[in-house]
Amino acid sequence: MIHDALIILWNASGLDDSENKKDMNFAEQGDIEIYNRICDIAKSHQKIENFIESTGFHSRKSQNGVKPYGLYAQALGEGMTEVLQSYKKTLIEVESLVIGNHNYTLSFVYSYVEKFRGLFNTLNKILTTIKQRRLVGCQILSLIHQYILNGNEMVHEAVVRIFSCVNKVFVNQLCTWLLYGELKDPCLEFFIYRNEKNECSDTFLSSPSSNTCDKSLVSTLQDTTMDCGYHLTSNMIPYFMPLSLAQEILFIGKTVILFSFDPKKAKRSQCFISRGVLPLQRCGVDSRRFTIWEEKEAEFHNKLQTLKNPEVFEVANLRCVIRDIKECVTKHLWVVAVEEAHLLHELQLMKDFYLLGRGELFLELLRLTSHILDKPTNRTATRDMNHAFQLAARAVFLSNSTDIEKFNFELPYVKPNISGNSSIEDDSSTVADGWSSIVLKYDFKWPLHLVFTPEVLARYNDMFRLLLRIKKTQHDLHALWKAYKHSTSFSMCQLHNKLMFLMDNLQHYLQADVLETNFSRLMDAVAKTNDFERLKKAHATFLADVLSQSFLTVTSISQHESEHSDTTDSINNPVFCNIMELLKLCDSFCSMGELASDRETEDYYIRGYSDRFNKLVKQLMQLLVSLRDRPCGVFLARLLMRLDYNRWLSGEAQLTQSVTNMLRY
Amino acid sequence: MPSEMITLQLGQCGNQIGFEFWKQLCIEHGISPEGILEEFASAGSDRKDVFFYQADDDHYIPRAVLLDLEPRVIHTIMNSPYAKLYNPENVYLSKHGGGAGNNWASGFAQGEKLNEEVFDIINREADGSDNLEGFVLCHSIAGGTGSGMGSYILEHLSDRFPKKLVQTYSVFPNLDEISDVVVQPYNSLLTLKRLTESADCVMVLDNTALNRIASDRLHIQNPSFAQINTLVSTIMSASTATLRYPSYMNNDLISLVAPLIPTPRLHFLMTGYTPLTADHELNTAPKIRKTTVLDVMQRLLQPKNMMVSLSPDRTNQHCYISILNIIQGEVDPSQVHKSLQRIRERKLASFIPWGPASIQVALSRRSPYVHASHKVSGLLLANHTNISSLFDRCLQQFDKLRKREAFLEVFRKEPMFKESLEEFDESRSVVDDLVQEYQAAATPDYVHWNPESSHI
Repeated sequence: MIHDALIILWNASGLDDSENKKDMNFAEQGDIEIYNRICDIAKSHQKIENFIESTGFHSRKSQNGVKPYGLYAQALGEGMTEVLQSYKKTLIEVESLVIGNHNYTLSFVYSYVEKFRGLFNTLNKILTTIKQRRLVGCQILSLIHQYILNGNEMVHEAVVRIFSCVNKVFVNQLCTWLLYGELKDPCLEFFIYRNEKNECSDTFLSSPSSNTCDKSLVSTLQDTTMDCGYHLTSNMIPYFMPLSLAQEILFIGKTVILFSFDPKKAKRSQCFISRGVLPLQRCGVDSRRFTIWEEKEAEFHNKLQTLKNPEVFEVANLRCVIRDIKECVTKHLWVVAVEEAHLLHELQLMKDFYLLGRGELFLELLRLTSHILDKPTNRTATRDMNHAFQLAARAVFLSNSTDIEKFNFELPYVKPNISGNSSIEDDSSTVADGWSSIVLKYDFKWPLHLVFTPEVLARYNDMFRLLLRIKKTQHDLHALWKAYKHSTSFSMCQLHNKLMFLMDNLQHYLQADVLETNFSRLMDAVAKTNDFERLKKAHATFLADVLSQSFLTVTSISQHESEHSDTTDSINNPVFCNIMELLKLCDSFCSMGELASDRETEDYYIRGYSDRFNKLVKQLMQLLVSLRDRPCGVFLARLLMRLDYNRWLSGEAQLTQSVTNMLRY
Repeated sequence: MPSEMITLQLGQCGNQIGFEFWKQLCIEHGISPEGILEEFASAGSDRKDVFFYQADDDHYIPRAVLLDLEPRVIHTIMNSPYAKLYNPENVYLSKHGGGAGNNWASGFAQGEKLNEEVFDIINREADGSDNLEGFVLCHSIAGGTGSGMGSYILEHLSDRFPKKLVQTYSVFPNLDEISDVVVQPYNSLLTLKRLTESADCVMVLDNTALNRIASDRLHIQNPSFAQINTLVSTIMSASTATLRYPSYMNNDLISLVAPLIPTPRLHFLMTGYTPLTADHELNTAPKIRKTTVLDVMQRLLQPKNMMVSLSPDRTNQHCYISILNIIQGEVDPSQVHKSLQRIRERKLASFIPWGPASIQVALSRRSPYVHASHKVSGLLLANHTNISSLFDRCLQQFDKLRKREAFLEVFRKEPMFKESLEEFDESRSVVDDLVQEYQAAATPDYVHWNPESSHI
């Protein structure tokens, strides 16, 4: 019977209830109980053995349609095998003792194997949980980690050993991902996965962001297109790893992948659009690798490998290593972006071109192209525009022509809708002229697409269109100055002055108070850091600030669903709308010369324009009341401070006391 | 090249300040006295082409026309290291070389006689530019050539180039000392009429104030012409800084001038500059230490830094029509708004009550080739109604002479005044109107002001 028990303990696969009963007959009274207990241990051992069997090498070899276990389950199996070694050793010991001395009782055998009960229970609990919850991959790691803390010394040690086995798999995956950006993950067990689907779309002309608060705007602008299809699987992230850490790990790997593209050989567009050809483009991978890590590759590798030791594997340690690696990666990014791709110079170019920093160039460009932009765009407009841009650049002797070549214009040609479904619609939606549709395109160096994402460029273009429009209007008004010098009509002069004053101050506000101020802040921030992530954040903050201070954001104040439901995609900041109305007023004033033939009609027009001007300015001041609590209220107040510098406009508008008080800014 | 400016230098004073101006521009743009671009300046992104044209790769020639009726000053220029800078075809000396004898009428008459030759030069120069924006005329209003011939040219420039801007740097005589030119009040008044009617923008350089600043602020006992002219060239170069360096605004003259001049005749601008240092003080510690934007802007509003001597405005009735500050140097742009706000709160500047007005601040680059003794420097261009007091003084001096009918015979010699002295009365009335209009502009009633109502 003792031998039965030993055999069962070795292998309980043949054990079933009937045999159990038969044994009971031979047993002495007390032994039945003990034998049953031995059977229990044997059964739970068998369950573990079954699991090991199923994950083991042989079963893997003879796959027959059954869903294979992943790397983690295999590691778990191996870990368990290791743990069972001590059990097996014990059995051998007992067996030899029993053979040597026939006087030993069943209790003697039991006393040897009893200590394994707790262990087997724990292991079986792990196994059933895995089965029940259908856990795979990192989830298994996570589960085992939860069992490490156990009061039973033996169980604790065993679980630690199992954990270290499973952890090896994890650390290896982590290591290849972090250092080489490769996912060695055939069974999709890692918490990062690659989305094979091709979901990149050209969002260059995306609609203005519908963010209400600045913070979210900053984060959208910071969002880069670096996700080359890699994402986090949230349910796979081990519970002991905070989300932020997981994101850092994702970021590092993506960055490494990014560097593995040789910018000279792989066309940027391709790496965005067709992920299928990815392996082909990984040319020069090796040379790149060395440049990222320099001599630190071995160091990081060792650091990661020590994490395999469960004693060392603490979240804090993991975080330390990840931080180190991330710092190295971002520094390298900084070197590549700032030193090799001259990011600072490119930022200056963004300011010079998108933000009209080169005033003289755009002045000349306006002189050459305002007739193109006044009309609805036609097929040749883009070509004409770029030709004029070249001429203008030559005219102002922009010596560094390589910078000019990075920029070109596009005037999207929209085929006029000839069919004309309803005449009402045609009236309401005016055909877009060049001013509202012009796009300035920018061809930047690799890897600056991390900073200048399509979304960012679209926002720059919003800004560009506004500034260009203001510059054009201002230029037109200035051109009339000489003509009105000889005009005898004071009211005409006065109106012209008011409009000119408005445009000049609007431009001063945007260029000096908004752009210059924020740009110098950006430059300070950039100078202080050599961390690419911070630099990117600083740039996103800069752009978000500029946009909100230029009133180029979409606010939720006037979002009454009933009215203007179709215009929600356009910039609907009330201040911006007001400014656009004023711009329109100035434009029609400039073209008045052709309309007003005699003195009387001229007076009529002047009166109309003056009324409209007063109304709009008053409206602008009253907007301050409703915007007082919003951040853009502060900036509206700044603009109004310039406009109402000698308190003339507020006097003229005859505002109520409460509004006038607010105009003290 | 868009927005070119042609500089016309007339007479002794005009050529002297013009000479200083070009010297300064050459230094700022890194151009040698021979007109060759220095090696260190070859990569500059400044806009040399507004005032210079490029003869070949690195040879720059000023768009300047030098005119005089007597050879002294031009000969000095031609014997200086800068002789090769100018296009010799643009240097015109009248053949008889006798000058205008400090007589406006003689200068005007000679201008008429030499009209063809002078305008040939100007036309040729204008044809040489792609998109000429305007002319800068340097002259004094008191002498003979600058005032008389200058007046003739002013009248005809606006006829021949009606769409171009005409800006003048006009030097007003020092009224603190007795001039050796006795007919100076006549000359001034006759020129003022042309400045009122034919120029688009007059930068008033008042010798009285310049001398006062040199002695009071720079502690120079007897300021020389050269020292005064250095002040002038500083102002001229600073006021053109936004044109000569790429920047986000004020890229052409019109954008500088139009916001400053809301009504056509009130186009006389005062200037102020800070901080001022004389050469002999450079070695000692600079007196003005604080150079924040606010400090610079506040100092620019102080009358003692103004380069026009105004009679004190005791009743506080005068006000600014407009102000433009051009600030050069290392400036934190966010300070601009704060400074504007502070000045507005403290009411440091009073403005017209009949229309919108403000201080505009243009930040401009500074030449990298010039060692600046101060971190920040600022130029003020202002249209102030109290400038009428300057014209009023001219009127008073004119009236004093006219009452005694003094020195009229030199004018009667010229054909213009042979028949009658109507020109005097007409000019007087134009200048008087100007004074009236400036005074009216300080009141809210200016909206209804009518030049005819003040006519005699």
